[in-house]
Amino acid sequence: MAARGRSRRTLSFSVDSVGINRGESLPPTLQQPTPVFPVMEQKPLPLTGGEEAEYLLALKQDFRGAMRSLPCFIQPAAALRDVERYSDKYHSSEHTDGLMDWTPDWQRFPRELRIHVKKPARDGVSVTRSDAQLAQKKKKKKVREKEEVLLKLETLQKKEEQQSEEDDDNAEQKKKQEDDDADGEEEYDEEEFEEETDYIMSYFDNGEDFGGDSDDNMDEAIY
Amino acid sequence: MTAQEVRLCGLLLREHFGEVVEKVGTQLLRSGAQNLRTIIHETGLSVDLVKKSLMVLVQHGACLFSSGRKGPGSPTEYRSGCDRILRILRYPRYIYTAKTLYGDTGELIIEELLQRGHMTMSGTVKTVADRLTQNMEEGRSMDYSEVSSAFSKLVETHFLQRCPPLAGAGTADSTNPAPGATPATPSTPSAPPTPESFPDCYKVPHMTLVGRGKRQLTAEDGEDQRNAKRQKMDPEAHGDEGIYWQVNFERFHLHFRDQAIISAVANKLDQTSSEIVRTMLRMSEVTTSPAATCTKPLSANEIFRSLPASYNIPRPILDQYLTLLVDDPMEFVGKAGESGGGMYVVNLHRALANLARATLESVVQERFGSRSARIFRLLLRKRHLEQKQVEDFAMIPAKEAKDMLYTLLSQNLVQLQEIPKTPDYAPSRTFYLYTVNQLPTARMLLQNCYKTVANLIERRLFESKESKRLLEKSQRIEAILASLQASGAEPEQLTEVEEMITAPEKQQLDGLRLHINKLDSAENQVDETIFLLESYVNSTATSTS
Repeated sequence: MAARGRSRRTLSFSVDSVGINRGESLPPTLQQPTPVFPVMEQKPLPLTGGEEAEYLLALKQDFRGAMRSLPCFIQPAAALRDVERYSDKYHSSEHTDGLMDWTPDWQRFPRELRIHVKKPARDGVSVTRSDAQLAQKKKKKKVREKEEVLLKLETLQKKEEQQSEEDDDNAEQKKKQEDDDADGEEEYDEEEFEEETDYIMSYFDNGEDFGGDSDDNMDEAIY
Repeated sequence: MTAQEVRLCGLLLREHFGEVVEKVGTQLLRSGAQNLRTIIHETGLSVDLVKKSLMVLVQHGACLFSSGRKGPGSPTEYRSGCDRILRILRYPRYIYTAKTLYGDTGELIIEELLQRGHMTMSGTVKTVADRLTQNMEEGRSMDYSEVSSAFSKLVETHFLQRCPPLAGAGTADSTNPAPGATPATPSTPSAPPTPESFPDCYKVPHMTLVGRGKRQLTAEDGEDQRNAKRQKMDPEAHGDEGIYWQVNFERFHLHFRDQAIISAVANKLDQTSSEIVRTMLRMSEVTTSPAATCTKPLSANEIFRSLPASYNIPRPILDQYLTLLVDDPMEFVGKAGESGGGMYVVNLHRALANLARATLESVVQERFGSRSARIFRLLLRKRHLEQKQVEDFAMIPAKEAKDMLYTLLSQNLVQLQEIPKTPDYAPSRTFYLYTVNQLPTARMLLQNCYKTVANLIERRLFESKESKRLLEKSQRIEAILASLQASGAEPEQLTEVEEMITAPEKQQLDGLRLHINKLDSAENQVDETIFLLESYVNSTATSTS
């Protein structure tokens, strides 16, 4: 828009028709980005108050609060803790209880979305742990078939036990009890039977699966 | 799917479903239809989390799945649309409308369905009856039949509709259940079938559900949870398995549109005219299709007969009112013939266009002043004007008119149209005309509204995060107070607990609460504008196609 072509004063558009009269200068050019919060010449109108607006506001805030407590509010168990605490072992299972409160009608979803997690806290742990252990083994290239078969048999057995027990009406209490029992039992098994050492396997973290596992349902602390 | 829409959808998903669903949702919105593998790879989340998020999105209707494009063997593809997620902004309005029309029962039914996405009728009735019973006095409970009748009424007036059934959705080679006869070729599916394409859309199923609402025993939390879980796991069959219901947003939108027209008439003319228009709209509720340009013609005799009993205006006065409405420049009502004492229609699309135009004018007025608004209105009426003509018609001195025009031009509210006299577009021999195009300007303002709401939400989240520690403390103290009061403590203990929050902290909390309420309220208000502009833009889309 400024004069081009050897400092001639003609501009690319006709001065008259756009309304700039002679003698008036163009406004000064801006040398920096516009301010983030420019001063407004016209102040905005106040919000409409009234009963309806307040009721709508209350409805909105209630709805948001209610959604947070529903099973469809998905929050991965926060794995970022500044300091590992002993109580984490017992706290982490509480959060995931809400997830399977909602039993969807599987007919309406594609088959690939089916997560056959009958008991999230339990199976999540066992699946990821056994996966992690299997992966570790493959990486280390120590294939102890006997241990693997034993392990699989045990976890399968436990899964079957849980599935059959689920059909009872008073499954909840029993499940919770069995939870703690089987949890301790499985922990014991997995920890001790790995590689026939006296040491608990998870103490030795060679860093290969750092950040690779899914971090929800942590039953043991990572060192 | 503009960047502003995607940003707003992401924030809404985050607030209502959590950050995981937000990640998956924005991935779907940004990159279109994808299969499960791609989503897992792009978002970097674990398989389980992605699956759960997709299920949540499908449950709430925000995501659709279909067989892949490459033929029957390809994996299912998921796609998402901004429209459905943006509706979340309007949920409070839907719930409030249900309350005004059908009372507390209707309000709770709609609220439950909005929270859960899809639900069976029996499930909804039970939950709502339980909730109503909670709030009633001791010893009284809500009967299931009352809730069922409210539900049936909602279905009859089309506020609720059945979810479209999915034919063979589990298998990988499912064909899209299109309403007409589908050829066997696995071509890319066209738009998914609307719920209304199925004949049973609004049929209430025969349901055997007898009983009353259960009051939740105020036991400890652990017991409560177990009781609740046991209730949910009760597999009672009520005869309506597999039939899921969802909220019919389009019907609510028609209702809002009618309300907007009626209140506009009431503001411009008077109460009686608005009652006449309300009667006309009520009579044509069932006969008008949602995308119709105007209602079916109604004769003045019919209108006279259908007026509410409290308005016994004599027949000649009614005719005068109708003539006034027809002559009004807003063109809400038009005359379509002379039979039956005069045939009258309500011009829906034109009313929407006028309402949108009023919105644009008011935006210009509030941002730039009344004189700029005068120029804007002038350009809307006269279409194309030169600089000199603008100054003359608007009766504004030349220098100020030029300033205002340039400000409007820089904000893109006004466009410049060049009309050359010679083929070489020489500037001295070209006409430069200022013009306003209503539809593109409305679209631009709509995007501005989305950006505004997104900014409001972000600011609100920022404010809460700043004072997170304080908020948590106050929540803990409220919980302590509540438990103390429930167990009957002395007033000294209560005051002692209350004093745990110091006075400056209380002030800070009050200020925070005020800010958050203001921001929330502002979101609701901006959503009203969004609704008007969206309806206008959609109405033009359907009329031109």
